[in-house]
Amino acid sequence: MSEAIITFDALTIGYNNQPVLSGISLAITRSSFTAILGANGSGKSTLLKTLLGLQPPLEGNVRVATSGKVSSVFGYVPQAIQLDSLYPLTAFDVALMGVYGRIRPGSFVPSIERSFARECLSAARAQEFANQPFSELSGGQKQRVLIARALATKPDILVLDEPTAGVDAAATRALLEFISQIHQERQLTVLLVTHDLALVRKHAQQVIWLHEGKVLYGTTAQLLSPEHLQEIFETEIS
Amino acid sequence: METLHQILSLHFLLRNSVYTSVLIGLACPLVGVFLVLRRLVFMGVALPQISSTGVALALCLPMWLGLQVTPQSEHALAFAGSTIFSVAAILILAFLERRGRGLAEGRLGMAYVVAMAISILLLSKNRYAEIGWLDLLKGEIITISDFDLALTAAILAVVLVIFGLFRKELLLVSYDRALAITLGRNVILWDALLYLLIGLMVSMAVLSVGPLIAFGFLLIPALTAHMFAYNMRQLTIFACVLGGIAAFAGFWMAYQWDFPVGPTDVALLGLIYGIAFIVRKVVSMTEAII
Repeated sequence: MSEAIITFDALTIGYNNQPVLSGISLAITRSSFTAILGANGSGKSTLLKTLLGLQPPLEGNVRVATSGKVSSVFGYVPQAIQLDSLYPLTAFDVALMGVYGRIRPGSFVPSIERSFARECLSAARAQEFANQPFSELSGGQKQRVLIARALATKPDILVLDEPTAGVDAAATRALLEFISQIHQERQLTVLLVTHDLALVRKHAQQVIWLHEGKVLYGTTAQLLSPEHLQEIFETEIS
Repeated sequence: METLHQILSLHFLLRNSVYTSVLIGLACPLVGVFLVLRRLVFMGVALPQISSTGVALALCLPMWLGLQVTPQSEHALAFAGSTIFSVAAILILAFLERRGRGLAEGRLGMAYVVAMAISILLLSKNRYAEIGWLDLLKGEIITISDFDLALTAAILAVVLVIFGLFRKELLLVSYDRALAITLGRNVILWDALLYLLIGLMVSMAVLSVGPLIAFGFLLIPALTAHMFAYNMRQLTIFACVLGGIAAFAGFWMAYQWDFPVGPTDVALLGLIYGIAFIVRKVVSMTEAII
């Protein structure tokens, strides 16, 4: 059995001491591709924020295994809409931020890291619009740049928060193919928040389904079986 | 041109005022860029006013305590009052804004108007401070000593160096706080440094040239440069150069036509903004047609 890279241990998450989800205990294995599903307001974003350390858990804890002697690195891909379009930044400027974690405050970005950011843009097939203003790119192009930025962090775990929100169907398919490809090539652990069941079925190995205050965790085949889906959606209708 | 030669002369009587205006014009937009990008424009308006309340309060303290102070001590007191008020105000207002409760614009608007009223009330009861500081509140820059100029230059240099050194960290926490946290950056520390630099710059500008010019140079060059800049470097350089040129040109025009310097500088910046806006629109329309 593979080693657990993320362990939620009796975790309760929420805001202002108001729990959204409680008693979450599960382990995500290294190099796995896990989708996080759930209706709006089910706690997907709260779970992601707690995992990334953006907000503290109300109870329990999140353990992230080390990678060798150092802590595992998260490559975080937010929704492009969360980033303020007022900032005059090129796609390259945005991707370059991914390398900042390896550079001491007050130091210049060395040319080797700048080259690496360009390589990540190439890997994400975003090199051709590297010098264009980030705010003027299409939804799919922005997500590619943000994935390049996440790759530039040299991540052990890639966390994507609805990367296909606001992206057309063709670009969504292409993006998910790309994420799946880098997951396999780089043996990355991938956590993907999405609403798209068809894409989850095609690409993910495990699913965390947040449903009516409960956390369901299992393989894609188990949780997305027709019987299980019928059970969940009938419950919702009733 | 004769006026220009006079202003550029090393023996020009008001040379310290020219140098100080240009220094403030060059440096304020650097801070203004972050105020604009972080959507804290109203704070850019309220802070200089709050800072000048700190100056007014500090100048009243010797009178209330019955103490005699030298001009140097008075200046030091004013600097302390200005800095304490602006740094405290930005930290409190930014903290309240981060919590996301209440109406941020309402708080800033109230802080601005109350600060202005208190400044005028305090100075109206202080006959020694009234004359010089009311001039400063109106934007008259006339008497700037060598010591004041050196202090302004030194503090602005410190702020510029810190901004230059930590620009990528300050940009990162401003643009994407979540990424900064996942990269292990202490966002509270970097936010505090940014606010401290903003507070220091604002207090120095208010003390040297008054609140009117301070908020004119904090906001208008950054807003104008934003229309044309494609990246952060261009935005910062355009804004600072525009601020420096407008400060010098404003002083020249004020001296030529005997206007107060502050309002002339700010009106000139407003005119430049208007022209830039029209040019930007024409360029956009032309690009759309092509």
